[in-house]
Amino acid sequence: MKELLNKLSLEFGPSGCEDRVREAIKEEIKDYIVGKESFVDPLGNYIIHIGGNGPKLMISAHMDEVGFMVKGITDEGLLKFGTVGGIDPICLGAKRVISESGVRGNIVMKPIHLLSPSERGQAPKIKNLSIDIGASTKKEAEELTFVGDYFTFDSDYVEYGEGFIKGKALDDRLGCAIMCQLIKDIYEGKIEPKYDTYFAFTTREEIGYSGAYGASMRIRPQYAIVIESKAVADIYGVDEDSEVARLGDGVIISFADRGAIYDHTFVKHIKAIADKNEIKNQTNRYISGGNDSMHIQKNAEGARVSTLSCASRYIHSQSDVIHEDDLFATYETVKEVLKNDRPN
Amino acid sequence: MIDLIKKLMLTPSVSGREEKIREVIKNEVLPYADEVYTDNMGNLIARKKGNGKKIMFCAHMDEIGFFVTGIGSNGNINVSPVGGINALSATFQDVISENGVCGILATNSSKELPKYEKLYIDIGAKTKKQAEKKVQIGDFFVCVPKFKKLLNQRYVGRPFDDRIGCAILCEAIKQVNSDNDLYFVFSVQEEVGSRGSKPATFAIAPDIGIALDVTATAEKDGDSSMDVKLGAGCTIKIKDPSVISSPELVKEMRKIAENEKIKYQNEILPFGGTDASVMQIAGKGARVSVISIPSSFIHTSCEMIDMGDVKEALKLTVALANKL
Repeated sequence: MKELLNKLSLEFGPSGCEDRVREAIKEEIKDYIVGKESFVDPLGNYIIHIGGNGPKLMISAHMDEVGFMVKGITDEGLLKFGTVGGIDPICLGAKRVISESGVRGNIVMKPIHLLSPSERGQAPKIKNLSIDIGASTKKEAEELTFVGDYFTFDSDYVEYGEGFIKGKALDDRLGCAIMCQLIKDIYEGKIEPKYDTYFAFTTREEIGYSGAYGASMRIRPQYAIVIESKAVADIYGVDEDSEVARLGDGVIISFADRGAIYDHTFVKHIKAIADKNEIKNQTNRYISGGNDSMHIQKNAEGARVSTLSCASRYIHSQSDVIHEDDLFATYETVKEVLKNDRPN
Repeated sequence: MIDLIKKLMLTPSVSGREEKIREVIKNEVLPYADEVYTDNMGNLIARKKGNGKKIMFCAHMDEIGFFVTGIGSNGNINVSPVGGINALSATFQDVISENGVCGILATNSSKELPKYEKLYIDIGAKTKKQAEKKVQIGDFFVCVPKFKKLLNQRYVGRPFDDRIGCAILCEAIKQVNSDNDLYFVFSVQEEVGSRGSKPATFAIAPDIGIALDVTATAEKDGDSSMDVKLGAGCTIKIKDPSVISSPELVKEMRKIAENEKIKYQNEILPFGGTDASVMQIAGKGARVSVISIPSSFIHTSCEMIDMGDVKEALKLTVALANKL
């Protein structure tokens, strides 16, 4: 699963431009969904109906990642840009970026000796940043890019320390990788789902518009599990009350975030299954963030939702960091939920 | 009806954890409805079948409160607010957990207006270990429910928002006699952004949607930009920041109120919102308005209502169900 995460995380896929991620996923699972209904809906969601006996369950993860969009090109050939999804500008100075067509660039900012005293020590503003692609005139730049072109972080996948993984777009390619693995497991007979199971690889989560909105309206599930990564701060200088959750402490079974209060019965059911199978799990100790579940919960006749996440440090930067134990704990938890009957 | 209101108010159930209040309401409406069911999100829906217009009445079951987010080494309990808690009112109040654990909501500084992040609950525990035996992350607390009679027909307590609407619907379902197809919806998660009424409306697809909820009053809440008085009758909502009521429906509601000699006020609320905003645009959309019960000091521990207004709201609800 780590090899697949490596591969998927390097694919280019900011919100609204998920084609390459989707193609990679299709290629990965094509031999495992023979005879199953699968389709790409108008919003670009890739939906696979695996089936199974029981209530309708939608398992989803989003394919898109945060990135940048070119908003203008200066006479000097620099690209002015906006962010696609939420990126803290403090992560941006001097970072490598790459465009959809493979043009490489660097985010430039004023050197420190030119900063006014009031600007020093402050986070940069996006409007004062630009992307340098090595062009020296507007015309040169226009040969390589255009207004509306996408960029993402240009970053490697690295395994380091004891079980740590660093990369871009681990949010939420880790969810995509886990779903691919589950689809393979079901094909190989390792899981016999006790739900009528749908997998939805969704688009546009990072901009809140959410392909999951359309996907859940179409699937109309009774139960839904969103597989995600969750921003945590288990780092030096943050008090224990605010760290949200910890890397390496297992799957986060959330009880609530800013977007959804998760179904109490379903959450307790999942936690009991994780405990019974001795899968390391934790809950969020701070209420923050939101994801596709906020739409899935309220759409159509409504659904009983849960989010299972891996803790991620430095999320939405070029260096998301997760722990492999959490990745496997999340995978194992969904797997065991699928094998068990629905909650009473 | 007073006993019913009291019973509903004394059953703590914050947004997303409406199990207990749902059971109470279900038992209340079961003998009077043709069918009663709970949907995926937890909305309780009681239907009285008919061949006329499909009308959805909606009052929310949830209340504001706190979720436990952690337990400090000193045994203090960290919390995050659920819904628009009035921190000024909640601080240094008695609170109680879903499992009956008592405590107080405290802040380290009593000299300034408390910030949410500074609030914690003290249950008297001396250590983290002791607190963990009583309280878990994800448990909810509420300010202790209260119900007291004051002078005239006025009552003070919490949470009138929106158990008073629930009580009116429970009572209305007993009294209606109508050809219309009536749905009485007791919705979930209104206080966190009217989440529950969306799937309920989608599934029912009503022609007309009427929410029952509390509204603020001018004289006591000190907002001169509105014109609603405690004790001057229920209100018919024209507008708030979340919804513009259907003008045809408002007109019909006024006509019926006048014919039935029901005391009502016209309401334009300069803040807040209700389930009506979602009922208007969910599914295929519906003509909506709100019957509001004037309440002073909303979202504090001493919400105040006038029972005269409640009676008018009930009469209007029944009249609309029968005559719309």
